[in-house]
This record gives sequence, C-alpha cells and structure tokens, in this order.
Amino acid sequence: MRLPPKNTIAADAITVWKITAAISVGVLWLLTAAVAIVSYIFDFIYWYAVIAAIISSLCTYFFVFLLPKLRFKRWRYEIFDQEIYIQHGILIVSRTLVPMIRVQHVDTKQGPILKKYQLASVTISTAATTHEIPALLEEDAAELRDKISVLARVDEDDV
Amino acid sequence: MSEAKRLHPAAILFNFLKVIREFLFAIILGFITFRNESFSYFILIASVLIILMISYSVASWYRYTYRIEEDELRIEYGILIRKKRFISINRIQSIDLTASVIHRFLKLVRVKIETAGSGLGSEASLTAVKLSEGEQLRSELKRERVSADQTEEVVENQAPVRKITFKRLFLSGTTSGSIGIIAAIFAFVFSEMEQFIPDNIYESTINWVIGLSIVILIVLGVLVLILLWVLGIAGTMIKYGNFTITKNEKELFITRGLLEKKQLTIPLSRIQAVGIEESLIRQPLGYVTVFAQIAGGSMRKGEEFPTVLFPILKKSEVEDFLQEFLPDYASQHDSMTLLPKRALKFYLFRPMLPVVFLLAGVWYFLPQFIWVPVAFLIGASILGYLRFKDAGYHLTGERLTISYRRVSKMTMLIYHRRIQSFEKKQHKLHLKQKLASMKLSIIAGLGGQHFPIKELEEKDVDLLSDWYSYRR
Repeated sequence: MRLPPKNTIAADAITVWKITAAISVGVLWLLTAAVAIVSYIFDFIYWYAVIAAIISSLCTYFFVFLLPKLRFKRWRYEIFDQEIYIQHGILIVSRTLVPMIRVQHVDTKQGPILKKYQLASVTISTAATTHEIPALLEEDAAELRDKISVLARVDEDDV
Repeated sequence: MSEAKRLHPAAILFNFLKVIREFLFAIILGFITFRNESFSYFILIASVLIILMISYSVASWYRYTYRIEEDELRIEYGILIRKKRFISINRIQSIDLTASVIHRFLKLVRVKIETAGSGLGSEASLTAVKLSEGEQLRSELKRERVSADQTEEVVENQAPVRKITFKRLFLSGTTSGSIGIIAAIFAFVFSEMEQFIPDNIYESTINWVIGLSIVILIVLGVLVLILLWVLGIAGTMIKYGNFTITKNEKELFITRGLLEKKQLTIPLSRIQAVGIEESLIRQPLGYVTVFAQIAGGSMRKGEEFPTVLFPILKKSEVEDFLQEFLPDYASQHDSMTLLPKRALKFYLFRPMLPVVFLLAGVWYFLPQFIWVPVAFLIGASILGYLRFKDAGYHLTGERLTISYRRVSKMTMLIYHRRIQSFEKKQHKLHLKQKLASMKLSIIAGLGGQHFPIKELEEKDVDLLSDWYSYRR
C-alpha cells in the first residue's frame, strides 16, 4: 500500500468546509463582540477585547482559509473489489484499509450545506469502527454506497 | 417439559428487591424532606407504596411462566400487557447458571440465556429456579441443540479442566495491587527519604517533635496500605475463588466466585483475540493473566471486559494452557520484531511532556516540593523506556502477535480474519525518520477495541498492511 488512493473527493468540499468553519468561527466573533461591548460599557481594560479579536482572527485564518484546502489535498479514497482504502489527515496522515467482508452497513448522509452543493457523505461501518468519506457528488455517493453494499454481500463464516 | 412452569417463589423476593432498589432514591429523598412535618403522611404513603410493590412482585411472579415447546424456549410474562418471548433453541449461544449468596442459601440458581443478538441485558433471565431444575433445563436446551446440529460427534475423551489452587489464588490476591497502591508506596518511600535528610542535619527538639508526628503518620500510612492490600486480597479471593475453566467441543465454561457463584459460557467462535497481561507487580515474579476479547455478550455490571480466562499463571505454563484450551492460539515464540532505536525519543517525549509542565509549575510556585515532579519525571521516563522496549509484533501465517505496554505489558494474539480494519498513521516527523504508527481494530463486547503500536519501522508497517490487505 505504498501508493496513495486514487480518487479525490468533490472540489466543492473546500467550500462546504469553509462554510461550516465560518459558522463556528462566527460564534467566536460574536463572543468577541460581546467582550468588546461589555468592556466598553463597564470601562474594562480593552486588552481583553484585543486578545479575543486576535484569537478569533487566528482561528478564522486557520479554520476557514488554511485547513480546508490542506484537508482537501490530502483526502483520497479508492474502492477495490476486496477492500476500501482511505487516506486523510493534515499533520498526521492516516491510511485505512477496510476489507469488504468486514463492512456491516453503508450510509449516505446529507446536511443542508452539503445539499446546497449537491454533495453527500458516505459512512462505512464495521462491527468495530466507522469510517466516513465526506463530500462526494450526490450521484457518486449513491453509486459508491450501492457498490459497497453489493461488494460487502459476501457470506460470512462466523461472528 | 412442555407444561408451563413458574419460577421458584423466591423470585418474588428478587422482584421485590429489584423494585425497592429502583425506588430507593425516592424513598430516601421523601424521608429527608418529610422528616419533621407530615412524617405520618410519609409513613402512610411509604407503606401504601410498599404494599403496591409487594403485590406487583407477587403478580409478576405469578404471571411469569416458561416452557420448552417445539424446540423453543417460550416465556410469557407481563401483568397487564402480556408479552411472549420465544427463543429458538438453535439460536441460543449460551446458558449460564449463576447464584448469589441468597440463591446459594436457598439452593437456587439464576438461569441466563443469551443469543448472538447484542443487547444490554441477556435475552432471557430466569431469576430463581431450583438448582436441579436449572441443570435439567440447561441439559435439555443443550441436548436439543446438539441433536439439531447433527454434525457433533460425541468424542469420549476427557474434557480439559483447570482449577485455581488456593496457593495461586492467594498469590493472585497479593499481587493484584493496582497502580494506585504502587504509587502510594512510591510516594511513601520518597517522603521518608525527604524527612531522613533534615533529621540528620538539625537535631533540635522541634524536629524531634515533627519526627514523632511523622512516625505516627508513617505508621498510619503503613496501616492504611496494609488494609488496602488485605482488602485487595479478600476481593480477589472472593471474585476468583473456585475459578474453574472447562473446555467442551465448542465452548469454554468458566465458573468462579466464593460467595456469588458465577458461570460464563464462551463459544469458541466468538473469541476475537487472546491476550496475556503482565502487570507491573506480577511481571518480575513471572506471573501473567490470560484473557480473551469476545464479541457480543450482555453488557451488565459485574461482567468484565475483557473476559479473564485464567487469573494467574506462570509464564511458562501459558503455552500448556493455550495448547489445552485454545490450540489455535498456542505455540508462541519470543522473537518479536521490536522498534528501531530512533523511536525511543518519541516514547520518552510522550509521557514526559505533561510532567515537564508540572515541573515548571511546581518550580515556580512551590519550589520546596520540587522533588515530587522530579520523581514523576524519572517515573515517566522509565515508563516511556519500558513502553519502547516492550512494543513489537510478530507474524506467523494468518496470526499476528502484537505486544505493547500502557502500564501492564500486553501481548495480543489476533487472527487475520478477526481484524476489522487496519490503519497506518504517519506524522511529518515520522516521515523524515522512516517511522510509522499502526492501529488495528477488532470487535470487543458491543463495540470495538483498537490496538495502536506507535513508531514502528515504516517498512514493517507496510509489510503488515500488505499482509492485511485483501487485494492480492
């Protein structure tokens, strides 16, 4: 398994991740605003607000602008007849092998943001673990789900 | 045995105890709130409640019947809403007879019936049945199954049995000490040494008084330690007293318990991995614990995961034990592939890092206690080194042996077909050093258990993933 998996996920994944991160960071900015207002009203030292703003902008840079791109670049998957091969991780690169005969069920999921971009994520569960391939094109996700569920239909000897 | 039967009347008592336990909190709360005012009302309500509970217990006993009919165990229960549960004998995975102290006093047993389906409780649990009847029930359910299988051949050889000896049981108790006790002893030795030095330097009366109080403290501490130790011994002896493991064609039977007699049936096909644990205290003495990771089972309190197959064995006896009970997992070897030298720094760094922060904090705020984090730092580095030294793997055909240490040293024997997924992880720093970590997952209980080994040689991890890969 020297070679990384072939397929990348949908390019819109970056946008989706950016939006999701923006929502979380938005909460942070709201808190920052609250700190600023409170310090203005009660005449606190404005340093608290400044520190909060710095933290918020750093988080915005990392989670909205930097990480989604890196994460997308790393995210790969490949479906073989016998197994599923997934690669992900920014600092720690992890490559996972899931044999088809160990797959218990496959799900596709779609939240409102994914739906807007016609994307869906696929979740693969074994008896011990779950693995998610995020943000695939809707039709790809459905096809993948059906393909895996057919390939996983191997008679099990035990358990 | 086709006519419907009721449980032994003692089941009423067990039902009642169960209901009381559920309402205990409410009763105590009521007692506390209404203690002063309206206490008579409380007594009134409580007695009405208790009468209701008793009648509920009697009614549920009266309405609970079981019978064996058409290869099924049929249970009917429910007071107002009748519920019927039919369990096909072919689907029954295990039948266990356990007995609490009350059960043993009345010569009764609880019959637990489990199927492969995972759930929180057992599929069926007959709370109180006469011992003879419980045994009859079991043999009936078993016999039916064997005849249904038709494949089973009755081989007339002695089924292997192994019982714990009293000496071993005692030894297992004395060495069962948890890490907490070791830490206590450790801290203790240190505090003693710390006091020892100033005593020699300043020989004033004040120090003598302090010394005296410390002597008292030490004596108290020793007493507490001894007490904990004795409790530990007693606990282990009650838990593992009469530990017996028997093998029958397709199952392992374990009975244990001095007061409460517990029985456990493990179908061989549900064993996912076999492990050997060498705890810090037992390792130098050469004793180990053998356990198994089992899929499914009922996740009730009192049942341990992983399941102990034998609480204490000499390391040299493990081979014989496995040969006898689990020949698939026998024939071990000591030639593990260990970690490369350059992995050591990661292993030292990980446990030491939090201690370094602690050290900095203590150094800044409480410099007189600096020896405490220093001791921890030494401990952490020793632990890190041991973890590095004990991590490794070995491949023999379809079987993978891995060893690692958190606190106790673990050796896991896992078959290829039991591994659910395999993961190779690599850090930027690992990449440069040609190291990689791996993680494999198996089923354990109702969820999964993951075994990571960090900083193996990258080519070893690639070798393992090639071994695991189904794509040839």
